[in-house]
Amino acid sequence: MKKNEKLVIIIAGIIIGIIASVLVVFGNPANMGFCIACFLRDIAGALGLHRAAPVQYIRPEIIGIILGSFGAAFATKEFKAQGGSAPLTRFVIAFFVMIGCLMFLGCPFRMIIRLAGGDLNALIGLVGFVLGIGVGTFVFLNKGYSLKRTYAQPMLDGIIMPVIQVIVFALLVAAPAFIFFSEAGAGPGAKHAAIAISLVAGLVVGVLAQRTRLCMVGGFRDLFLFKQTKLLLGFFAIFVSALVTNVILTVVTDATYFNFAFAGQPVAHTDGVWNFLGMFLVGFGCILLGGCPLRQLVLSGEGNTDSAITVLGLIVGAAFCHNFGLASSADGPTLNGKIAVIIGIVVVAIIGVVNTYCKKEA
Amino acid sequence: MIYVVTFFAHIGTIRFKRYCDKEKLKAKMMPVPRALSSSCGTCVQFEADDDYEFSYESEELEEVVKLIDGEYVSIYKA
Repeated sequence: MKKNEKLVIIIAGIIIGIIASVLVVFGNPANMGFCIACFLRDIAGALGLHRAAPVQYIRPEIIGIILGSFGAAFATKEFKAQGGSAPLTRFVIAFFVMIGCLMFLGCPFRMIIRLAGGDLNALIGLVGFVLGIGVGTFVFLNKGYSLKRTYAQPMLDGIIMPVIQVIVFALLVAAPAFIFFSEAGAGPGAKHAAIAISLVAGLVVGVLAQRTRLCMVGGFRDLFLFKQTKLLLGFFAIFVSALVTNVILTVVTDATYFNFAFAGQPVAHTDGVWNFLGMFLVGFGCILLGGCPLRQLVLSGEGNTDSAITVLGLIVGAAFCHNFGLASSADGPTLNGKIAVIIGIVVVAIIGVVNTYCKKEA
Repeated sequence: MIYVVTFFAHIGTIRFKRYCDKEKLKAKMMPVPRALSSSCGTCVQFEADDDYEFSYESEELEEVVKLIDGEYVSIYKA
């Protein structure tokens, strides 16, 4: 049974890696077949929560992941409306996780995809990410950190997030005037695969991630706490399959999908200190949230309202990043962004301390 | 007999592991098996007699299962 689980997660990782690379061929930004942070940021822009013209588009991949997870959970009777575990605290942590993501320019998922495209800046991000998870695990999680238990919620509460996805998808297809779309050539928001292709890709990833529980943060947590590599194997498989697909695409097409370097990487900057600190904040925040942004999407599809609130925190964080000049660009991080990341690390640490060391034993 | 105990929060797992150590039960913490739940939380697996009377109480306790012929059989669910 254990061998089967490992095999399934490796196969899922291989499929997801190939999908991530092929989405770029179909039109997604380079090294961004998938990026949960960037895509939520694009959706925030499309809905007018920020007005950064280069990054406004309703990404069907996000809709697909949540609906794919919802469908898989429903079909296997695993859909369960539950929540109530410190939702506002989760919102705040997620807000700062997004600030970390947009300092680095990518979520943990895109970090792997950037690595598979040869972007060495992602390696520095990975070091920060792992260190953040390590601090969260050993200083807080293993010392009693808890946001308290979840409780069963009314069925409707669990279904709202998938229903919102259907509505947002309708807005994408209908494209009314009040939805913002980046104009051609304006930036990453203007680069996207066809709607149907993106949606199917998201659905497949949503189903696979729900069945395998793929989670970058959970992978390192299991490695640190239990010396178990099962979840990490999934991400290693994503890395290897995306890397191989990128190399093959570079050989058989005129475009370059693999560039082994620090400089000249798409939608990335070379400031190592802030790539490190941005992903440190992401790893630290995500371990206290109990999962990476991809996992939060999947859980929100399974009926977890705490994860739905977390996704909303990520979206609001993205809007703040672009309204207040916190997001990095290819030119590098901004001063506002640096200050926000430091504040984020402090706030997440305070939340960790309060929920670990300043509570009564039950 | 192998038992697996799942919790709503990781702190529950830590506390139950301490309880097992105190009760001198052979126990280990591990990720929740996929066959048991779609959650990626942690649990405690411990060994005890077939007729072990599970008396541990906690608000964080979610489920207790027995491993019988390779299948998880629920004996308590919150």
